[in-house]
Amino acid sequence: MSVVTRRHEELHETIEDELPDAILDFDEHHNAPAVVANPSRVDDVVRILKQNGYNHLSSVSAVEYDNRYESVYHLRRITDDREDFDEINVVAPADPDEPAVETVSDVFKGANWHEREAYDLMGIRYDNHPDMRRILLPETWKGHPLRDEYDVDQPQYTTLEAHANPIEERYEVENDAALDTMFLNIGPHHPATHGVLHLKTVLDGEVVVDVDPDIGYLHRCEEYLCERLDYKYQIMPYPDRWDYVSAGMLNEMAYARCIEDLAEIDVPEYAQVIRVLAQELSRIAAHMLAVGTFALDIYGELNVIFMYAFKDREIVQEMLEDLSGQRLMFNYLRLGGVAYDLPEPRDEWFGKIRGFLDDLPGKMDEYRSLLEGNELLRKRAEGTGILEPETAKEYGCTGPVLRGSGVGYDVREVDPYGYYDELDWDVVTYDGCDNLSRVLVRLGEVEESARLVEQCVDILESWDGDREIQSRVPRSITPPAETENYTAVEGAKGELGIHIVSDGTEKPHRFKIRSPCFSNLAVFSELAEGEYLADMIATLGSLDLVFGEVDR
Amino acid sequence: MVTFNDAVADLLGVDGFSPLVEFIVGIVGASIVVSVMLTIIGISAVWLKRKWNARLGDRIAVNRIGPAGLMVMPADALKLFSKEVVVPEGVDRIGYKLAPMLAAATVLAAFAFIPFGSGLQIADPETGLIFALAFASLSAVPVVMAGYSSKNKYSFLGFEREVAQAIAYEIPLVVSALAVVPLVAVFADTSAPLRMSNVVTAQQGPLLGVTGLPIPNWFIFAQPVAAVLFFVSILAEFSRNPFDLPEAGSELVAGYLTEYGGVNFVLLFLAEFAAIYFGGALFTALFLGGGSGPVLPAVVWFLGKTFVFYLVVQWFRATIPRVRIDQLLEFGWKYLLELTFLNLLLTAGILWVVL
Amino acid sequence: MMGVLRSLGVTAKHALKGDTFTVEYPDESPGISPRFRGTHKFSLSRCIWCRMCEEVCPNGTIDIKTNEKREGEEYNLNLGQCIYCRLCEEVCPVDAIILTQHFELNAGTKAELEYNMDDLMDVPWYKGMDPLEAREPDRGAWIGTDEEDDVWETAESTYAD
Repeated sequence: MSVVTRRHEELHETIEDELPDAILDFDEHHNAPAVVANPSRVDDVVRILKQNGYNHLSSVSAVEYDNRYESVYHLRRITDDREDFDEINVVAPADPDEPAVETVSDVFKGANWHEREAYDLMGIRYDNHPDMRRILLPETWKGHPLRDEYDVDQPQYTTLEAHANPIEERYEVENDAALDTMFLNIGPHHPATHGVLHLKTVLDGEVVVDVDPDIGYLHRCEEYLCERLDYKYQIMPYPDRWDYVSAGMLNEMAYARCIEDLAEIDVPEYAQVIRVLAQELSRIAAHMLAVGTFALDIYGELNVIFMYAFKDREIVQEMLEDLSGQRLMFNYLRLGGVAYDLPEPRDEWFGKIRGFLDDLPGKMDEYRSLLEGNELLRKRAEGTGILEPETAKEYGCTGPVLRGSGVGYDVREVDPYGYYDELDWDVVTYDGCDNLSRVLVRLGEVEESARLVEQCVDILESWDGDREIQSRVPRSITPPAETENYTAVEGAKGELGIHIVSDGTEKPHRFKIRSPCFSNLAVFSELAEGEYLADMIATLGSLDLVFGEVDR
Repeated sequence: MVTFNDAVADLLGVDGFSPLVEFIVGIVGASIVVSVMLTIIGISAVWLKRKWNARLGDRIAVNRIGPAGLMVMPADALKLFSKEVVVPEGVDRIGYKLAPMLAAATVLAAFAFIPFGSGLQIADPETGLIFALAFASLSAVPVVMAGYSSKNKYSFLGFEREVAQAIAYEIPLVVSALAVVPLVAVFADTSAPLRMSNVVTAQQGPLLGVTGLPIPNWFIFAQPVAAVLFFVSILAEFSRNPFDLPEAGSELVAGYLTEYGGVNFVLLFLAEFAAIYFGGALFTALFLGGGSGPVLPAVVWFLGKTFVFYLVVQWFRATIPRVRIDQLLEFGWKYLLELTFLNLLLTAGILWVVL
Repeated sequence: MMGVLRSLGVTAKHALKGDTFTVEYPDESPGISPRFRGTHKFSLSRCIWCRMCEEVCPNGTIDIKTNEKREGEEYNLNLGQCIYCRLCEEVCPVDAIILTQHFELNAGTKAELEYNMDDLMDVPWYKGMDPLEAREPDRGAWIGTDEEDDVWETAESTYAD
């Protein structure tokens, strides 16, 4: 009996002992065992699990069935020890007419936004939730669009009264203290928001007293779309559009991993190596952009780091274009492999990559002397936007944001997939917990990705076996009804998870995207409050948000 | 050195002009200076800035319109001047419209005291340096007007920053400039060391104590610390990187410029660039020997040096991150102020001991 | 202070070197890789009106109209809606729809991007590049069994433009 299995059995006993009336059943999901909890006691169940080491709430997903709604919580253990990694799911079935579930936002603060999303899109009400508002859609929206009964054609009329400025009321001057502060709308169109984010900020002089991010301006119904497309081919072009700034390969891998796991599709080794190569190139490009735009936020519009970073990103994108046919919207991965073999002539393409890898150390030195070595930048970025590791875990932050706080959680490391296990690389962590650390993690990861790319190129160059790029995949993929799977990969911004619930057809019944940016943005107000306005902007840059992924 | 009026009188072989002619000649001189400066600013604001920044960032920049893209200047000017002047609702109309004009006027007027060399100096009063510095500080006033009258929160934050910054860096600017005054008194042997022409005259000879190598007696060599302090104060006074907080693009959208467009924007923009050149001209006159240099006429040397100053400022802009407002004020009050006074006292002390 | 000076040195080095990275488009055409996915080209002589492309298109960009005898009448493709995923080319058994490397696309109105059959046939080849040379899609994955694999191979040799 493995460690994990034994732990699960002990856990069953613990939960049953401590909360006999809170547990309805035990279930088995494809990725992990599931605890079916009484919807009004789900917070106690999650609390017990948290006490037992499940310290990371990946996502909260809402699913509709014929006779019930379900609120599904995906919990993970984050430890430095890979053996200790483990997942567990909690399911809270809710009444079909008036779905209501107890909130877990007092156990995991990160659940706050996830539950708001579930409420917004699926209409599950979370009792005792501190802030049960819509999050992606406007507050005047009618209906919950992911429900089956929702009529997409219904007009969304908004009366003039309903459209009265909701902010005016909320920030009314109530006392003398409020007279000293200024309310400032930053965004949705503001140079520093890297897209469309609206920050409702209250300033006391130059100091941020309160900030409330308002998201959803780039909501494109990605989940809804994927639920209407078939598993085999049609979904694959869409992941490219979640985190659309060059992280496409990583997003495609997130989908590929989930469905390959669910439908039990094997991937030939050769294709796996190509996948890792493509993914790591993608990661380099995405991190280059992150570093460049962070510099843009601190320096102002005419800085050179941004230019150098974009130049290097461009080289990577050209390689990806040669490989996949597009610069950003790759659509390169297929279930069971990849779309094409490496571009011919292979040597020329390998030469391109090797040329880039040879130049990279010199370029990284330049970035380091411009960013890490520059005292003025250190003065700005060091000690600002402090994210304590405990807070980060509480909110479900992942990726470079979490690793910048000294927690070495990397999905590639703890829950390995593809070919990563065969290769030699390290997880980069810095424990400064500040803006600079997060940027340095990204610089470090560019170097680690370069190491991985180099190893892949070595393997591919000396490959003398069969170049099988795709395994034989059944003509149509129909996972059995009511099976669920949640898997995650390490995207450019962190744990990018996909939760698929199947209904026995070729299309998913529920397709939930666990976006790392979403959770990373949820922690933003903790980071920004008490900082100067300028540091708030820098912090926003250091979180590296892509709104295609936040709003989906 | 002589003012423009004297130079013209010399040229015509007359001893002096009647007040009316004096006035007319003065106007002519002023228009020459203003048009020279406007041309330079036009070149640098829309062309040189792009080219130089592109060069720092491995790009090409404008090269389509005309040779090396130079014709982008008339094209840009035409575009900006033909734009509709939009006055947003709720602004303080008088302040909103007056600010751009005032901004351009104060900065251009300040050039009157600059000894360009080759007889191109409009006014040379005995307290020229103080006048010039006073005009430099005046540049904060239109910013406050623009920011306050715009009725925009970003503009508001921008002008607040400008005020804090202007006050903090005013004193270091003046005091670091004053550090050269005792030297002027010594080298030019004059009783009017604040006269701008004397400041330049004092830097014409070779530097004392250095034989063989013809190092000029520029005050950047005699007063290097003051030069650095003055440079930093100039950057802060005219809000250039790393001190460009009043219009910090990534934080305040465009700071006090947010609500401006069309001609009004052009004037404010022009004032900003003129301010860099004014800073450069002051720096050249005070520390780089004004128009001194071999072969070429003095005015060419002078303008060349201000161009170099401009390029350096843009280079800093591309490389150095913006500081935060508290860091800026802390640096200004806690370090720069003390250092400038210390430098002034040391200069005076050394001169007192030596002479 | 040394770090600031070193940063200034880095940028000065770049300025002195004067290397540029800009592609002076349109004087100089950017390097388009052979696999690049651009505007679609349609071949009426090849098309067998099997409607596979219409079926696979994730967002209904392709609209095919046939008569009662299943003979093709219209082949419409809204380029403004297309996400250039290339699934239509991948699925086509006879290479009747191909994404060329042609990337220069513009229109004054949205309606101009709704290409019909004639527009699609008129799309030029980009610099004589044959997109199929560089792409070797695994059509076996689509068609399923080995016997059917040669369907498209024979089709490819039969129809030549």
